[in-house]
This record gives sequence, C-alpha cells and structure tokens, in this order.
Amino acid sequence: MDTNKNSILSLSQSLLSILARNWALLFVLVLILIFSFTGINFFSYKNFQNIFHLSTIYLLLASSETFVIITGGIDLSVGFVMGLSSVLSATIMRELHAANFTPALSISIGSIVGLIVCIIPGLINGVLITKYRVPPFISTLGMGGIASGITLVMCEGFPVTFLPPYLTGIGNGYLIYILPGKAISFFNRPEGIAVEELRNLIRIIPNSLMFNFIIIFILWHILKNTKFGQHTYAIGGSMDAAVRAGINTNKHLIIIYTLSSFLAGLAGVFNVFQTGIGNFTPFTAMYELIAIAAVIIGGASLMGGKGRIFGSIIGVILLRIIENGLHLSGVDPFFRFIAVGLILIVAVVIDQLFPDLL
Amino acid sequence: MADITITTRKNGLQKFFSQLGNRWAIIFLFLEIILFSIISPGFFSVKGAQVILINSPFILFLSLAETFVIISGGIDLSVGFVMGFSSVVSAKLIVAFVGLGMNDLLSIIVGIVITLCIGIIPGLVNGILVARLKVPPFIATFSMIGITHGISELLIKGSYIRNLPPIAGRIGNGSLINIVPGKTVSFFISPTIQRGDQLIEILPTVFVIPFIFILFFAFILKSTKFGQHTYAIGGNVDAAIRAGINVKTHLIKIYMLSSFFSTVAGIMYVFRYVTGKADAGAMFLLDGIIAVVIGGASLYGGIGSVWKTLIGCFIILVMENGLRMLGVPTFYKLIVIGIILIFAVLIDQLSPELIHREE
Amino acid sequence: MKMKKSLLWIVVLLLSIAMVAVFSLAGCKAKAAAEEEAAAEEEAVEEEAVKEEVEEVAEEEFTILYVSGIADPFMYMLGKGAKAKAEELGVNFLEAEYAKSWGPEAQIPILEAATAAGGIDLIIVVPTSTEALIAPLKKLYDQGIAIITADCFLGDGDYSVESNYSFPLAYVGTDNKLGGLQIADHMAEMLGEEGEVFIQNTNPDTSSVVARGEGFTEGIAKYPNMTLVGEEWCLDVQQTAQDQTATILQKYPDLAGVFGVNLFSAQGAYQAVVNAGLTGVVKIASWDATPDLINALKEGKVDLVLAQKPYEVGQLSVEAGYNYLANGIEPDKRIIPGFEFFTAENVDDPDMQQWIYQ
Repeated sequence: MDTNKNSILSLSQSLLSILARNWALLFVLVLILIFSFTGINFFSYKNFQNIFHLSTIYLLLASSETFVIITGGIDLSVGFVMGLSSVLSATIMRELHAANFTPALSISIGSIVGLIVCIIPGLINGVLITKYRVPPFISTLGMGGIASGITLVMCEGFPVTFLPPYLTGIGNGYLIYILPGKAISFFNRPEGIAVEELRNLIRIIPNSLMFNFIIIFILWHILKNTKFGQHTYAIGGSMDAAVRAGINTNKHLIIIYTLSSFLAGLAGVFNVFQTGIGNFTPFTAMYELIAIAAVIIGGASLMGGKGRIFGSIIGVILLRIIENGLHLSGVDPFFRFIAVGLILIVAVVIDQLFPDLL
Repeated sequence: MADITITTRKNGLQKFFSQLGNRWAIIFLFLEIILFSIISPGFFSVKGAQVILINSPFILFLSLAETFVIISGGIDLSVGFVMGFSSVVSAKLIVAFVGLGMNDLLSIIVGIVITLCIGIIPGLVNGILVARLKVPPFIATFSMIGITHGISELLIKGSYIRNLPPIAGRIGNGSLINIVPGKTVSFFISPTIQRGDQLIEILPTVFVIPFIFILFFAFILKSTKFGQHTYAIGGNVDAAIRAGINVKTHLIKIYMLSSFFSTVAGIMYVFRYVTGKADAGAMFLLDGIIAVVIGGASLYGGIGSVWKTLIGCFIILVMENGLRMLGVPTFYKLIVIGIILIFAVLIDQLSPELIHREE
Repeated sequence: MKMKKSLLWIVVLLLSIAMVAVFSLAGCKAKAAAEEEAAAEEEAVEEEAVKEEVEEVAEEEFTILYVSGIADPFMYMLGKGAKAKAEELGVNFLEAEYAKSWGPEAQIPILEAATAAGGIDLIIVVPTSTEALIAPLKKLYDQGIAIITADCFLGDGDYSVESNYSFPLAYVGTDNKLGGLQIADHMAEMLGEEGEVFIQNTNPDTSSVVARGEGFTEGIAKYPNMTLVGEEWCLDVQQTAQDQTATILQKYPDLAGVFGVNLFSAQGAYQAVVNAGLTGVVKIASWDATPDLINALKEGKVDLVLAQKPYEVGQLSVEAGYNYLANGIEPDKRIIPGFEFFTAENVDDPDMQQWIYQ
C-alpha cells in the first residue's frame, strides 16, 4: 500500500515539476483559452499563422539572446544590428537592381553581403568582452550605438525602397493555397483569381514558418545536443569551472557573440523580405528589451547557466499572444501597453513562486 | 577571484599613467571643451555655457537616479517613462487647478506636490517586485515602462495639454541671474524686455535645481549610513544581510528614490517646455545610464559616485551640444558615444587597482 | 601582462585619433560651409556696395533661418522650396539641423544652437509642440526676429486674436482636417459608399495627424453605410503599424479601407495588407507623396495618395517674410495652399509629377 502512495506522490511531483518547468507554456494555453472567448476571430488558423509570421523577427532575436544570456552575458546591439543589415542588404539590392542585375542575383548578393557584414559587430563585441574584459552591457550598447549611427548615415533616415520584385512574394508566400472549390497551388497564388475572391483564399503554412522552424531547430539542436551547447551552459554556470575543465572560454564567447550578431543580421535580411523595404531601427522600438524579456520568461537567468531555446520561443509567443489577444478582445491600444507590463510581472512573479523545481 | 598581486615599485612614468588613468574622465572633459572651443566659434562663451546648462536637467536627474540604483547592484529602465508620466500628470493637474480658478502660482505648487506623491508609486512597485518578489530588476523596471507609458497616453488621449500658466515657462527658461545691460538685474524669473534689448543670462534655473539635489545627494551617498548601506548591498548582498542591514527595505527605498528623481525630471520638463509628453524621457534613459558608467560605476554594483556621474553627464552634454552647434547631424552622436563608452571601460582596464582602491 | 597593457594603450590611442578625426571632420565640414557662405556673402556685399553706389538705394541683406520639425521628405521639400525662393529674392538662407525625433526636447536645443550666433532676421519654423515652442520663439521675437510658423502652429493657430502666441507673422500650411475630410470622400467613392474602414494613426500628441484623423472620422460619418471600426496609434514605428493593421484585418475580415495618416503608418498598413494577400481588395489611402508611396501606388499596393504642397509652403513662407522685412507689408495670418490627390489613374500624368516630394 505504501508503494502505491509513494508512486502517486512521485507522479504528482513530477507532474508538478513539468508544470513548473513549463509554466510559461501553461500560461500561453490559459491565455489562448480565455482569448478564444473574448477575442473576435482569435481562435482561427489564420490568426495563429499570422502571429507566428509577424513574430519571426522576435523569434530570431530571442534565439540569439538565449545563447548570450546562458553564458551570463547580454547583447544590447541586436536591434540595431538588425537595422544595419536591413538597410545594408536593401541598399545593395536596390543598387544592383538599378544596374540591371537579375532579381535573383540582386536579392542573393544583397542578402549574403548583409549577413556577412553583420558578423563584424559580433566579432568586435566578442573580442572586447573576452580579451579586454569590457562588460557585455557596455560593449554591446556601444556597438549598438555605432551600428545605429552607421545605419542612419547610410540611409539618412529614410527607408530604402525600389527593391527588386519577388521579394515580398518570398517573404509572405505560403506553401499551399486553396481557393475552395476552384483551385489549389503551391508556393504561389493560383493564377487568375478575381479580386473579390481573394478574401476566400485559404493559405496554409507561411514560408516564414518553415524558415523559422528550420533555423530554430538547428539552434535547439546545437544548444541541447552538441558539445558547443554544453560548453555554453558550463561557462554560464561557472566561468572558473569551465576554464579548469579545459574549455577555451575566450574563443567560445567570441563565437557566441558573433552568432548573436549573425542571427540579428538574419532577422534584418528577413525583415527586408517581409516588408519589401530596408528600414533602420528606431530607438523607441526596444527590440532587444523584448527579446531579453522573452528569454527570461522562458526560464533563463541573467546570471547565466539556465535557459532553453524552447523556453525563449514560448516567451516570444506569450508576449505576442497577449498583444494579439487583447487587441482582438477590443482592448484600447494604450491599455494594452499597461496590460502587457502587468501580465509580464505576474508571469515572472509566478515563476518565483515555483523556484528550482527543476 | 583572488589574484596574488606582486607590488613593484612604480617608476615615475608608471605613476604618472596611473594618476592619469584615475583622473581620465576629467581630463577627457577638459580636452573635449578645448577641442570644441577651437573648432566652434561661440562655444566658449557665457551664451555657449548657458545652452549646455539649460539642456542638462534631464540627464542630470536621470543619471542621479541610476547612480543609486546601479551602485545597489540593480538597474532602472523605467526612469524615462516615469519622467514622461510625471510631466503629463503634473501638467494636467496644473491646468485643472487653474481651470478651477486657483491662482497660477498656487496651482503650480499644489500640482507639483501631488505629482511628487504620485510619482514615487512606480518606484515603490519596482522596489517591492525586486526586493520582496525577487523579480530581476531588468524585468520589473522594463514592465514598468509599459505601464507608465500606457497610463500617460491614456491621460493625454483626445486632448493635448494646453493652457499651462505662462509663468511656468518663465521659470523654466529663466536663469538665476538675468542682466539687461544698462537697465535691470533680476533673479530667477526672466524679465519682460522691450523688443531689441539684449539679455545676458547666467546659470539657468533648471540647472540650479538639479545641482542642489546633486550636492545634497552626493553627501548622502558618501557620508551617511544610507549611502554606505547602498554600497554594501551592491558589493555583496549576503555580507550586507549578515552585517544586519535590512536589505529589502533599503532596496525599496532606492527604487523609490530613483522614481522620485525621474518625477522631478518630468516636472523640470513641464517648466522648460510648458507641456507634458508621454515619451518625454525616452531619449534620456540611455544617456543617464551611460553617464553613470562613464563615471566609473560598475554594472555589478558596489562602485560609483555622484561626482563621477556628474563628470560623465558633462562629457555627454558637451559632446552633444558641441556637435549640435557645429551643425553635425545627431546620428554622429551615437557613433561617438559608442566609442567613448568603450573607451571609458578600456581605460578602466589600464589602471584597475587604483580605481578600485579609491572607493 | 605587459604585452596586454601596451596593446591596450595602442587601442586607446587609435580610438582617440578616431574621435578627433570625427570631430574635426565635422568641424571642417561646418567650417567649410561657413567659409563658403562667408565668401558668398562677401561677394554679395561687394555687389551690393557697387549697386549702392550706382543706385543710391540702400538694400539690406536679410538672413532667413529654417528650423524643420524632423528629418523626413516633407520637411526636406519645405526647405527646398524656401531655399529656391530665398535665392530668387537674394536672401541669405540657413537651415538648422533636421531632428531625428519629433518633439520640443529635440527641437528647442536645435533652435537655440542655431540662433546662438545671432544675425538672423526671420525664422521659418515647424513647431513640434503647440505649447512648448511659444516661450523660446517669443524670446527670439523679443530680440527683434520675425517668426513664421509652417505646417504646424502655436496655440490654436489663430494669430489674429491677441494672445501670448499671436506674435508670429503668419501660419503657412495645409488644412489637415480638410484633407482628412476629402480623403474620406475619396475613400467613399472608391468603396461605393459602403464598407468598414480603419484609421492607422501615429501619435495622439501631434496636432496635425490628430486633425487628419478627426477630418476622416467626420467625413465617414456622412455615409450611413460606412463604419469606422477603429483608430490605432503606432507612435511612428512602422513595424507597430504593420502589427496593428494585421490584427485589425484579423478582427474585421471584411475590412474595406485603411487610412494611413503619415508615411510610417501608411507603409506599415499597406505591408500588412500585402502580407494578408489582400492587395487590391482592401483600399489604402495615404498622406504625403513620397517617392516610396508613389511607387507603391504604381504597384497597386496603395490606392490614394494625398500630396501636400511643402514646396509651396516653403516658397510662400519666404515670400511673406521677405515682403514684411523689405517692405513692411503684413501678410495674411493664415496662408493655406491646397493639396492634390494621386490615384492610379493620374499617377503618370506629367503635370502631376511636380507634386511628388523629391
């Protein structure tokens, strides 16, 4: 009889620990439930797809912050590096297009150059932080400012337009298009649809979702299953222990910050695909703060050593669902600012009430 | 990390560099001023100084706020929007009172008092979240941004803030000493002058007020128990607890103090610009934190001082206004501040022993 | 350790050189510009002296300062128009720095820095706050400088009635409310006078855009079969405009039209519509004929563009100011040039091209 009791106890304990571990996920599910009732058109595949589609940037930025925060650092330059890559790649695309390069070539070259250039801020951050022991907050803040300044000089405060065609087609494309009863096609809209019928077009699986999935899967795999990932956690847990264990911490950290910067660059390039223009990051956008908040909601600690890609994803989704759900429930725009802040606080406080059940 | 340092007798040159490194911030400030005076006509003048000082209150107050918070080992991201919030609240209150028929000056005073009481609430909430609920300061103050911003915008919605009594503007744009050559000398409030008269102004009121606060709170930080406790908590929380300091209450006070300074900054905004704006402080948050860091504080807490932060403030102010007088577009400011920031920390590395021993 | 330190010193030295370079570059640029102007002035003065001898008519040379609201195409066009007119009239023209953000805390320091050196006769200013600019401008007025407000006004804009803000010579600008009303009428026409519409606005603190929204709201109210479903505020962040419009599209799947009150709102709004695949189904009206929006009009992403006349505003301001300074003629207190509408039909008309901001 005792063994039954024990097993029930341990079962409920493990259940509780799973819940505590994934409290953010639980929160998301609860919110989805609530908003399905209060929100107009909330619970629909269209809405959910849309949420993911428009969260791509945040997902990428949060992933980059995850790595950095696990090592106990922070990267405040990601929003501005994103702006830099957005403007840089768009500018190149525009110039090549104007010089009569084919769209395919202009787009590819622009994207690749944007990505490569964005490795530089990360490299500099990494070197400053490891070899010169500049605190990450300062180094990344400084680099962010410099990146922002360079971006503004490049674009003079205006969005970069007149880009090659097909860009937004790729950025906003879907895998499957179904016009009920009439046509079905892949990758591109079916030909010859009347304008009025566009509303009835069903689109499934946006390109961005597949893109997200692939990138995030790769990052998740790296963090969880490779030595690189393990070393990342080790450094975050205790720098000294990591050094004693023989890990080349300097090299590792440089890679981490370069990766972070690269992902920010990726976000910027993707932004060009999604919006069709290159745009600098305004200061009020606070992208990095949102990304960091998402990572912390996902279970990371600013001290380092904890954090998961999956957690950060949930963090982003949580923040986006709050905004989306409240909006669809008819909450006034500025009440939403307040609500997001409040819900965030509640979320984190709850986290504190379930400490270390991991 | 206990390293075994082998102390060697420093030769004259090394000693010189150490002293240099120690005082680098002030030296940098002087060099900056000299550079701009040479390049920019009109910079090194009473008028030039006025322009810098009259734009100083916001960064002075916000960096004062951050000094305390950062020394205690935390950070306050909400100062900018608490400032905006307080500008909106105070402006609305003053307009409301005047509308009710109250005397202009009285409305302003009452409005300010009420705003000060309301303005420490965000700090109270931040403090409770950080101290009692163990929410990381980053998250707590970040959420507060959204909350104060939302409330400010809701208060403004549908009606802008108008019809503030003009005397507020005259205080905000006035100076300690106003001289109309050959005619009058007055204090604090800009005199009404005839068209075509010259006006020499010395020491803007909106600089004098934060400066008084700085004097007072520099003393508090350095020489009172309150200040010592702040350093202690920032240095090592556990040691502070064991030493009998009530860490929780102290931290709450620190965040309330930060909020208080941000609120006063918002009131300064109303005086200077005769209106309230929800995002009034947004662009000063970063400046405030950077000033503290340039001033030598460590983001891990335990190190820093009000005077050093003041130097940091002026480094930024001189640079910003200098560039502006030259007509250089503001985005260059970002690049330069980025460079200065990294510069600041690198220099720190060059003479680490002395800087740490100073505190 | 020794190696590290000297390396560090080298880095510090390089940084210092970099900074001095930036400062002096800026200084040289400004000095060069100042020298150019001084040389031009000298020439002009010499010419004047010769003229004087010949004609015995004392001609003063006036200096006009233009203080814009923010760095955007509209403000640049205003400056262009003003500069052209100034050159035509033989007046000295100075442009203050274009602020990167909208607000008195950005503009007033620029105003003060630009007027510190003195020697200015007239200021054409776009006040970024109806209240905050009154005191500083009054101070300058008291020093003998004439003031004209362009595009935005002080107080309630009525300078004909004696008040603490009636000192400016004139207000030259668009009637924002009227523009909103007319856009509503055009929208009704495009939609067959029925359907749901939505306003993507930017900042409730800015009088001009609020007036546009009010005009639109009033206009739509005239059509019983049209409903205004909401007004959102994106605070000049394009990404936010996109998110908000996307959510509105989710909430009101039958949405027929969107009015984007300025460049960022309009671009965000049409991006959201493109994302949703509803280009052509949802009609978009926007404000300000920037090359980007005109391009979008040509590509069918936007359906209506209101062109203000910033060039005229600049010209009229300089003209009014000059007449006052030279001949003592007091201008009308309100000078309102009209606006033009671009649609898909007339976008390629040669006589419409002049209204594009470039």
